[in-house]
Amino acid sequence: MGRPVGSHINGLALLILPSALLFALFFFLPIGLMAVMSLLTGNPVVVPHIAFTTKHYQRLADDSYYLEVIWTTIRIGLWTTLIALLIGYPLAHWMARIKSRAGHALLLMAVLAPMLTGIVVRTFAWMTLLSDKGVINQILLSLGLIEKPLQLMYNETGIIIGLVHIYVPFMVLTLTGVIGRIDERLEQAAENLGASPLRAFFEVTLPLSLPGILAGSLLVFALAISAYVTPILLGGFQIMTLPILIYQQISANFNIGFAAALGMVLLVISFMLVVAYNHMLGLVSGQRELQ
Amino acid sequence: MATSVTPSPTLARPELAGASRSTDQVIAHRSAPGRTGRAIYLAANIAILVFLLAPIAIVFVFALNPTPFIQFPPVGVSLRWFEKFFSARDFMHALVFSLEVAVLTTMAATVLGASAALAIARGNIPGSRIIVATMLSPLMLPAILTGLALFQAYVLLDVGRPVWGLVAGHTLVTIPYVVRTTLAVLHNFDTRLEEAAQNLGASPTRTFFEVTLPLVKPGVLAGGIFAFIVSFDQFPVSLFLVSPGNETLPITLFNYLKFDLDGTIGAASVISILLAVLVVIALDRTVGLRSTVKL
Repeated sequence: MGRPVGSHINGLALLILPSALLFALFFFLPIGLMAVMSLLTGNPVVVPHIAFTTKHYQRLADDSYYLEVIWTTIRIGLWTTLIALLIGYPLAHWMARIKSRAGHALLLMAVLAPMLTGIVVRTFAWMTLLSDKGVINQILLSLGLIEKPLQLMYNETGIIIGLVHIYVPFMVLTLTGVIGRIDERLEQAAENLGASPLRAFFEVTLPLSLPGILAGSLLVFALAISAYVTPILLGGFQIMTLPILIYQQISANFNIGFAAALGMVLLVISFMLVVAYNHMLGLVSGQRELQ
Repeated sequence: MATSVTPSPTLARPELAGASRSTDQVIAHRSAPGRTGRAIYLAANIAILVFLLAPIAIVFVFALNPTPFIQFPPVGVSLRWFEKFFSARDFMHALVFSLEVAVLTTMAATVLGASAALAIARGNIPGSRIIVATMLSPLMLPAILTGLALFQAYVLLDVGRPVWGLVAGHTLVTIPYVVRTTLAVLHNFDTRLEEAAQNLGASPTRTFFEVTLPLVKPGVLAGGIFAFIVSFDQFPVSLFLVSPGNETLPITLFNYLKFDLDGTIGAASVISILLAVLVVIALDRTVGLRSTVKL
């Protein structure tokens, strides 16, 4: 790519201003306010005398219930990530290696169609499959394999199944990019030298795709711990995760300060994950494809 | 696996070409365990595709099945749930409201995002890498936090829950798609095209309107399509920002799902899925799917 026309700032640069304004007013200001609110005793609009406090964070740290909620959120995130990786890798490998253009397009559509279907719709789909009178239980009952319906949802298993389905496309797309960049001739060279295809995969392809595995895992984990719809519907309001707790603080308790503190916890976790994700992708693609 | 290695420029060197020929022979004489492995590989992948697509298919079965509860195998085909969906006032109101919000969001995100992408790629702004990272950051931040932060800001500023506040939230989470697709197009074509136009006597303004703009159109279009579907399906931001009586379709579906699980939701879901399929096809036609999925 040639150098841009002229090398100093020009009139087109002004076109950034509307977006800059939107981001300043509707993104950075609100997040800054959230950080401040998490440290205030009350809402400055309603309460006249307010002061700085760390009580919201102390409440979080002192009550084992909230730590339990954070741990549940992380545990669900970890299981979702692990299963999404195990399911996503073979499909990503196939997509990266398939020779036929039409085959690739079909696979891409199969991955993108669920991704572009709303999250509520996909969660609903899993409810029809997993509920007591759902499709899976009906089939198992009619085949005589079970005598009473299996408890497939309203527990963490149901949540994890739903989350894996929703976020596995992100894993597949991240991995496909990385596996596609691994030179196929390296695997073939290993096989020429006598390695079995399986051994060639484990000793050549898998180690080379490690940065992609980490990047995809970080992405899926970050998405899974911030999910709201799937945990609440497939968990049947029984299982409390951080996003559910945040919304509950707003809708039921109207405790904005505590909600802000919980939000800051989620923000810090997500921020660290994003930094790690970008670092990993940077490792695979060098500097050039960061944009 | 019997296909030959795709030729690439480096393969022109004789020793490498030889290597690839012998690879072909090895593959051609692959042993039985190799074929079994291949069969397992394909079977696993097909199982994964079934896992991805079956839930979507089940929704269609459920929506067309006449019984008010889930029944498998289905007992017949009826459109009664679609009738119920289209005659239910709250669903219709939500559908129309969602479409309105999605249209406004798409217009805002497309104009703002495309302008920003042009400024970044052609304005020679210092620190453009940081600007790009910033503009993409709403994708990385959990959307539920964007919703929470905006909700708190609106409460503190005492503005209530206006429709423009919802559209602003949606615009924020859809702008990254427009920026990304437009930048991808801008980086792909050579700035020498613009230089050539100017060398041939076109003014910078004319170059912009007659060369740059037509070239970025597919990228902007793809970004706009993405923005529309993301806004239409948006949940976490809307959760905090909708006002009672002015709810988007996903929120209405969610509230309905908390108490009821009948075919109406199935019908609503089918409509939403068909929209997604249309979007995939539209993306494929405008810029090609491959270039839209770089994560």
